Formats: sequence, structure tokens, C-alpha cells
Amino acid sequence: MLVLASITVLTLDYHGEVSRGIGHIRNGVRDALSPVQRGIAAALHPVGDVFAGAFHYGALQSENERLQQQIGRLRAGSAEQAFAARQADAVLALAHLPFVANIASAPAEVISAPTSNFQYTVELDRGTGAGVGPRMPVVSGAGLIGTVVEASSSTAMVRLVTDKASSIGVTFGTGRRSGSAIADGQGFGEPISIAEIAGPLPVTGQTVYTSGTDGGAYPAGLPVARVLSVSTSAGGLTATVTARPLVDLDTIRYVSVLEWLPQP
Amino acid sequence: MAATAVNLASWSRLALVALVGLVLQVAVFDQIVVHGAHPDVLVLLAAAAGAVAGSARGATIGFVVGLVADLVLPTPYGLSALAFVLVGFAAGLVRTLPGDRDGRGVQVATCVAGGTAGTLLYAVLGDLLGQPGMLDRQGAVVVLVVTAGAFVLAAPCVGSLRWVMGAADRTLEGHPMPSGGSATR
Repeated sequence: MLVLASITVLTLDYHGEVSRGIGHIRNGVRDALSPVQRGIAAALHPVGDVFAGAFHYGALQSENERLQQQIGRLRAGSAEQAFAARQADAVLALAHLPFVANIASAPAEVISAPTSNFQYTVELDRGTGAGVGPRMPVVSGAGLIGTVVEASSSTAMVRLVTDKASSIGVTFGTGRRSGSAIADGQGFGEPISIAEIAGPLPVTGQTVYTSGTDGGAYPAGLPVARVLSVSTSAGGLTATVTARPLVDLDTIRYVSVLEWLPQP
Repeated sequence: MAATAVNLASWSRLALVALVGLVLQVAVFDQIVVHGAHPDVLVLLAAAAGAVAGSARGATIGFVVGLVADLVLPTPYGLSALAFVLVGFAAGLVRTLPGDRDGRGVQVATCVAGGTAGTLLYAVLGDLLGQPGMLDRQGAVVVLVVTAGAFVLAAPCVGSLRWVMGAADRTLEGHPMPSGGSATR
């Protein structure tokens, strides 16, 4: 009988009006829990860092060495970068990239890691009360993090770009060397898969951006990931392309929610 | 009937235990992420319910705890309830085996095994419902992390459920069910 009751509840969740009612209850619970989450998150961030450090000591050591080398390269190339930055500013001003030029954003803090072991979401400390709503893109300084999937009045749940339900229309390259594809999340720790490529293949190290054409789910031009590997089958008919998100999704804390909604 | 009874005092204690479990899960255990997975105290409460109180009451408590867990999960509402009903029931079957069924060690071991099985079951049911990413390589990591967490958390979960069911048992001691003849007083 309880199994039947569970199946009934599951079935009702797929029913429009009941599902909305359940959504309101869930949002109420999230609102009620958010002050506790904020308080404990603030207290536990240092503890979490210690845990992360303990579990990833080897990775952190090699990361440190890599960063030291990077600092050296960055110092050597600072003059060149200043020039490149001026160029980039000029290009941005010309192109009027929508996420830079027009879209308002709401700053938010990550207050919870994924609540489900099987879906990659994070919870933010801003909700509908701060203008944050479902389907809004979430970015950090480095690029796209994901999309708001649920929002209560004081919290929002963001589906990360690595979640298996995440699918983003992307573009890469410029002019005749540009192509478009779909970037599909593959789960925790796995690189993003770049599939359904139209046009030339991307090259390793190339950055992919939202295309803005996948039904208008994202504004165009948001940096998403950097191409990690490109391989083609023996006959060259199929290509396997993977990419790493530009944002380290394990350590994100401060983000911006773009107050942008897909066009109906 | 006595085997399925969960009286008002027990319900009050269960509500408190489920609420504290939910807050701890969301505020503490969700933040202890190891290779993308975290411990799950709520599935352990369902398993502990079966280990302590038997199949019927374990399934009932599992259902309630599952509904509470579903409040904070992005998966379809009722998925945890369905998985936890089955976990509570299955864990309770251990009490039908011969031997020391009330020993704390047996109950804790049942709770750990129930937590592992419950996580697997949750993934399988989620996959059947079309949820992406439920049965893949990361799923194995999730099961390992939940099991490792269960070794630490099972004992307090069993202790909590013994406290919850203590209220029911005390009531039954005060008003014992007749062992024969008419149930009418």
C-alpha cells in the first residue's frame, strides 16, 4: 500500500497543478532552511577547504607547480596582454556582446553543494525576491556555470553545465573557420562532450561560447569551455571532441545571475 | 497489529528526528563532498527504522522520511519515498531471521547494508523514471561514499530510531496486547 502511495505521489508530481503545489511546498522548505544553510555554510567554508585540501593534496601540489609556471609566463607577457586587453575592449565595444553590454545581473553566493548525489546543482542565496528566476544563466568571471532551474523567494537552484541534463548550443572560431555544436554535460569530473558539430572541427585549446541559437536558451557569446581533445575515427567520419568548463565548478563561491530569459 | 503500530508519541519523536536529519543533511552532510558525492543520513534513517522496528513499521517510517528527503531534492517528488519504503521493509526482514535480532551490532550492520542498497535502488528507480546520470561510473563512487558515511552515521541513526520506537514500546508495555482470547477490554 505504501509502494502504491509512493507511486501515486510520483504520478501526481508529473501533473501540472499538483506539481506546482509541490513546488510551492519545496520552495517554502528551502526558504525555511536557507538561513541555517547560510550560517553553517559560512562557518563550514574553511572546514570544507581543509577537507578539499586533504582529499586533493596531490592534485593541489601539481596545481601549485603549474600556477607558479603560469605566473612566470604571465609576467613575461604582461605588456603583450595589456595590448591584447585594449584590443579585446575594442572588439567588445564593437560587437556589443549582450552579456557584457546589456544584461543586468544579480550577484549571489553559493550556499550549498549539490543536494542530490546524482544531479549536479548548487544552491544560491538569492531567489525571486532578488529578481532571480528559473531559466536565467549563471556566470562567474571566467564563464558560464549553469542555469537556474528552480527558485524560491530567497534561494535558487542552479543546474551546472556538467550535469547530464545540461545541453548548450555553442559556437567556436571566427569567420570561415567557425563552427557550431551542442555541448552536453557528462556528469561529475567528466569533460563536456561537444557533439553535432556543424562546420570545421574545433582545435585543442580553443574556447567555445554559447551560440544563442539553441532555441534561445542562452544569450550569445558566453564563454563555456576550452577544448580538451579532438579525435576523429579512422575514416574521419565521426569526431569525438571534449572540453573542460572554464570555471572550476568544485570551488565556485561567488557568481552572477544574468537577468536574461529565453525568448518565447 | 502491534507490529505495525506507530503511536502519537513515536510520531512526534519521528518528526523531530526527520527534521533534525533533514537540517543536518542539507547544512552539513551535503557540504562534505568527496569525489562529487556526499553521505546520506536520510536513507540510513529509513534503513535503521526497518532494522529497529521491523518490516511494516520500517516501511511506514521509510515512506515518511522519503517524503521529507524529497522536499530538498531536484528529482521527482516521491522517488525517495518509494525507494525508502522498500529499504525500510527489506531492512525489517532481517528481524525475521533467527538469532539476536535486537543486538545493536546487528541493527547497525543492517543499517549500513540498507543504506548501500537504498542508494543503488534510488539510482535504479531514478533511471527507470528517465532521470539522467543515475546509473553511470559516478554512481559507483556515490555508493562507495554513502557506504563509507554509513559506517560513521549508522550507529547514531539506529540510536535515534531506538529512541523513536522506545515511545511505542513503552506504550505497548503499559497497555499490552492480549496474547489470546478476545482483544476487547
